[in-house]
Amino acid sequence: MTSRMRFGGLGGGNAVGQSSFSPVKPRFFSVRGICMTTIDPITTEVIGSALSSIVEEMGEALIKASHSTNIKERRDCSTALFDLEGRTLCQAEHIPMHLGSFLGLIEHIRKRHNQTDLRPGDVFCGNDAYEGGGTHLPDIVLAEPVFVDGIMTAWAVNLAHHADFADRGHVHIYQEGLRIPPIRLYKAGKLQVDVQELILLNCQVPKERLSDFRAQMAANRLGVQRFQALCAKYGRATVLAAGSALLDYAERKMRAGISAIPDGVYRFADTYDCPEIDGEMPLSCEISVRGDSMHLHFDAPPQVRAGLNMTMTALLSTVYYAVKMVVDPTILPNAGLARPLSVLAPEGSIVNCVHPAAVNGRLSLCQRVVDLILGALASAVPDRVIAACNGACFSITFAGHQPDDNRLWVYLETIGGGSGARATKDGLDGVHVHMTNTSNLPVEALELEYPLTLVRYELVDGSGGPGRQRGGMAIRRVYRAEHDCRVRVDGARLLCPPWGLFGGLPGGQAEINVYGGAKPFDHGHGALRRGETIEVITGGSGGYGPPSERDPDAVRRDIAEGAIDLATARAVYGGIAAG
Amino acid sequence: MWRIGVDSGGTFSDVCLFDDASGRVAVWKVSSTPADPSEGIARGVAEGLREVGAGAADVAYFGHGTTVATNALIQHKGVRTGLITTEGFRDLLEIGRQKRPDLYDMQADKPPTLVSRDLRLEVPERMRHDGSVETPLDEGAFRAAVRVLRTAGVEAVAVCFLYGFVSTTHENTAARILAEEFPEAFASISHIVSPEFREFERLSTTVVNAYLGPVMRRYIGRLEKRLQDSGIAAAPHLTQSNGGVIGFDQAALLPVRTVLSGPSTGVVGAQAIGQAIGIPDLITFDMGGTSTDVALLAGGACRLTGEAMVHGYPIKAPMLDIHTVGAGGGSIAFIDSGGLLKVGPRSAGADPGPVCYGRGNDEATVTDANVVLGTLNPSHLLGGRMAIRHDLAAAAIDRLASKLGMSRMATADGIIAVVTANMARAIRVISVQRGYDPRDYSLVAFGGAGPLHAVRLAQALDMRRIVVPRNPGILCAMGLLLTDLRADFAVTRLSLLGDAAMAGVGAAFRELDAMASAWFAAEGIAAGDRRIKRTVDMRYAGQNYELPVAVPEEGDILSALARGFAEAHQRIYGFVAEEDPVQLVTFRVEASGVVPKARFEAQADSGADASGALAGSRTVWMAEADDFVECPVYRRDLLRAGNRFSGPAVIEQMDATTVVPAGWMARVEPFSNIVLEVG
Repeated sequence: MTSRMRFGGLGGGNAVGQSSFSPVKPRFFSVRGICMTTIDPITTEVIGSALSSIVEEMGEALIKASHSTNIKERRDCSTALFDLEGRTLCQAEHIPMHLGSFLGLIEHIRKRHNQTDLRPGDVFCGNDAYEGGGTHLPDIVLAEPVFVDGIMTAWAVNLAHHADFADRGHVHIYQEGLRIPPIRLYKAGKLQVDVQELILLNCQVPKERLSDFRAQMAANRLGVQRFQALCAKYGRATVLAAGSALLDYAERKMRAGISAIPDGVYRFADTYDCPEIDGEMPLSCEISVRGDSMHLHFDAPPQVRAGLNMTMTALLSTVYYAVKMVVDPTILPNAGLARPLSVLAPEGSIVNCVHPAAVNGRLSLCQRVVDLILGALASAVPDRVIAACNGACFSITFAGHQPDDNRLWVYLETIGGGSGARATKDGLDGVHVHMTNTSNLPVEALELEYPLTLVRYELVDGSGGPGRQRGGMAIRRVYRAEHDCRVRVDGARLLCPPWGLFGGLPGGQAEINVYGGAKPFDHGHGALRRGETIEVITGGSGGYGPPSERDPDAVRRDIAEGAIDLATARAVYGGIAAG
Repeated sequence: MWRIGVDSGGTFSDVCLFDDASGRVAVWKVSSTPADPSEGIARGVAEGLREVGAGAADVAYFGHGTTVATNALIQHKGVRTGLITTEGFRDLLEIGRQKRPDLYDMQADKPPTLVSRDLRLEVPERMRHDGSVETPLDEGAFRAAVRVLRTAGVEAVAVCFLYGFVSTTHENTAARILAEEFPEAFASISHIVSPEFREFERLSTTVVNAYLGPVMRRYIGRLEKRLQDSGIAAAPHLTQSNGGVIGFDQAALLPVRTVLSGPSTGVVGAQAIGQAIGIPDLITFDMGGTSTDVALLAGGACRLTGEAMVHGYPIKAPMLDIHTVGAGGGSIAFIDSGGLLKVGPRSAGADPGPVCYGRGNDEATVTDANVVLGTLNPSHLLGGRMAIRHDLAAAAIDRLASKLGMSRMATADGIIAVVTANMARAIRVISVQRGYDPRDYSLVAFGGAGPLHAVRLAQALDMRRIVVPRNPGILCAMGLLLTDLRADFAVTRLSLLGDAAMAGVGAAFRELDAMASAWFAAEGIAAGDRRIKRTVDMRYAGQNYELPVAVPEEGDILSALARGFAEAHQRIYGFVAEEDPVQLVTFRVEASGVVPKARFEAQADSGADASGALAGSRTVWMAEADDFVECPVYRRDLLRAGNRFSGPAVIEQMDATTVVPAGWMARVEPFSNIVLEVG
């Protein structure tokens, strides 16, 4: 038997339990009384607007000053402000996965460092999934305390996915890269050169890392200055009261949204596959909605010696994302939204792994957890969910030596796919879904920086699941190596196609193929010699509603645009396709 | 001789007439004719001329700002367009950057792809990043693709190949074949429209240009004909998104450069006012019924941006860095499910409009809050032409107030506080986010609602000076009489900053200068009126976003560029990486042709006493006092240069109301603009 743990809202000392058991507030709350006690709703809104402005500005600075393609072009980073208890006050919306990637950080800093020892200009650096609150090692967080009038008041925090730690093993976390607990990279404004050198020596592309750290420093410095200016304008107490009121506000909106879902117990099951493992693994969830709170209970096999495992932090960010998306997309992404939710999953399983499980490829499994939640809630709120998306975050990592100067290079990118059909609209073609939303790298930038040629980049005909509403189409991306390199591909849905809803048919499955004499890949690992090519086809997505109900004009357009071939269209849509 | 500026918007077309000889300014407003805007414009011009007693032969200049291109893009009323591109990449237009339109909203859609998949054709050809050819263009395949598109009935064809900006050979061949096979099609070729790197943004720009091309060409043709028919001989000019005007025939070639034609004229108007009164550092604040446009002018110049997202489509073209937010007089206030008061971006528009118009809307708007607060005249607007229902406005505010558990006045004031916060956030984007401190700038408030909210906004940003132009409601039309001819040229050439790069810098600028000279000649600009400004977009090697650095006319260019870049990087990112190599990316030449402009005469000082303009008083809710305060009401048309008075006060004019709270001083400067200052 696996032991079970109960988790509630994240952050502060109450990571376990507490907030999920707080008394349920009245369903029809009165605004008066909740926020009038400390601060009025207008000041709250005005300060909330200023906080959003600060984290956005931090994000812009980070992206524009950074050097690695993964941050400057693909925007794989996030910025946020936290209160002293480690609760998110405000987060710049880049990547939903990052809702969790640094939620636990402040808590771990507090565990290791006495708050009274902190000084202005201290900057903590960390990435560990077990000792730093992170979700995988490449996401390196920098956190700096904000002092206002000599009093520590908040944290400016940002995370950047450093595309490094490539070409490594994923049997356990010790193979995956350097584990960094939250330690000081700067002490009272002074760079700890020893620490930095230790980190850089463990990176394959240290020059990029150094430049990206500088960009992360610039972002936090802005956050600190702007937050201090905000406190100077409104007063420290008012800003903190507004921050607290904003958490209550997110909670109220979350509760209002959950209340609109009929009470009941909803279940869903699916299977998971990826290149790292042979065969499929069962996944299931049970969601209980009662009044304005929701309990989610997941079941999954024991953690495996592969990089697909999710930490509890990753599971929580996945749940926060999925529920927010279903109940009310406009809820502020702060710690308040977690309060009405409780989450249960077997400890030591692939969705709640423990040390020393490897976690590098957790994102594809997170995507499938979102699908589970949507599948379960489909019977409760059919109009608000969508059919299964491509169910992965296909990533491909190349590593090799530059032909001219033999310098080590690492290039990571992720590829979108189909987004599931909706109740009244077709799914989106060729996009990143759910937990990720990174940009692609322009071909003209990619080929300039790395010895690779992009041969094709296109939508995959026939990959959108047919239905009354069609699923979104998958992406095909074909690369040719211009110099020998090692390659790792990760993804999912190579064996089990993305499901449709209410009679909609499944979308296309993913494929990984090599050409030009390259040896077939082993569990996602392989090598390309100069001139050899690799083709990645991501998953499509499921349709919604029976194909027989599809608008004949839409079927004709699908045929004309090549989204479906004539023969398949006749087989699937029957008489509609004939006209 | 008269100079005419016409700003044509969705509801009204404003005609501004200026007499060179007497300095007289006249304004004429007519309803727009959306089906064919040229009709309303021609009528407005004819009526305006008749009103001032002039004839078509007296017109020396015709300048025009239009929303035709923008509207065609928003409403997806461009033409059926085809695309021919590199094999393997036809879906790039649809995939874009593979990001979804909204992180959490599953119902959000991408903007419609402007070329359907069956009209996106591929041809074998492939260029490398160094300009070498991997696969030569298959001319037969290209010719066949053009024929397919012609048969499919497209009106415009976009051509975009990978690395088209590095080597133009393939695209030039393609353009030649396209002209041979399908001469009547509007051709949009990527290296001509946007010769810069990043293929998706270049492709998107090229396609938008094709999609709008025939629409703009027809519109310009119709307007030109109507003007000619009415006897106006002066060559008509159009504002581009960069704030400069350009001849109609040039504008018809690159319509994508006019998508921000409308808002950019307001910035130019504000710029001219700043110049006249000696205030070069300005933040413009143009607040209308639905949205607010803001821009920052440092040292009298507005920052140019090379790329922006316009109605969901990335466009790479020189544009004034104007930021728009969905906040206006018609923005609707509501309480969301979490109990916070929100304002906009949903707007009651002009019809039905705010609750106080009495046309059936019952959701409180920003205008209704102003009516309840008394900042807007509680009985009538537009100089008495429009009755106001204060009772309806108050009832709508009360409905919100009871849900919030707050008083009517606190709620009305709260609506203004929230909309002000939204606008302040927009100004932070163009100021602090770009490294400029708004406290060093003066706010120029215009548009129908700008002067009303200016002080609150200035207070939110700790700004201490506000300029309210003489005619805030028609500053855009006025701006058309104050702008120079202008064209921008750019070319991307990657090199590392150093002695070795200097030959390439010289060559790039010689190439651009030649393009500028050709343009000067085509516009008929005399040698003495030609102005050239050169900049280089620079970055640290490894970064992907560049900062523009000015190139000095003479002296040591190398060290000037190095210094300029370091300063800009320090200002924006707070650090300089001295050991890192610096890269030169895109070279730009900004060419302007100085034209005679409307000149405004300074008025003689009539003394500080403003009592001649007093029109009575009314009680206005002042947030500082947390109470109604009796305020004198001044008539703007009776205020004279030199007049000054301190707040609290209200200034009314036909198209705007200005609020002056206690602690602020108003003075009328010699060009009849009002300057509000703390003190």
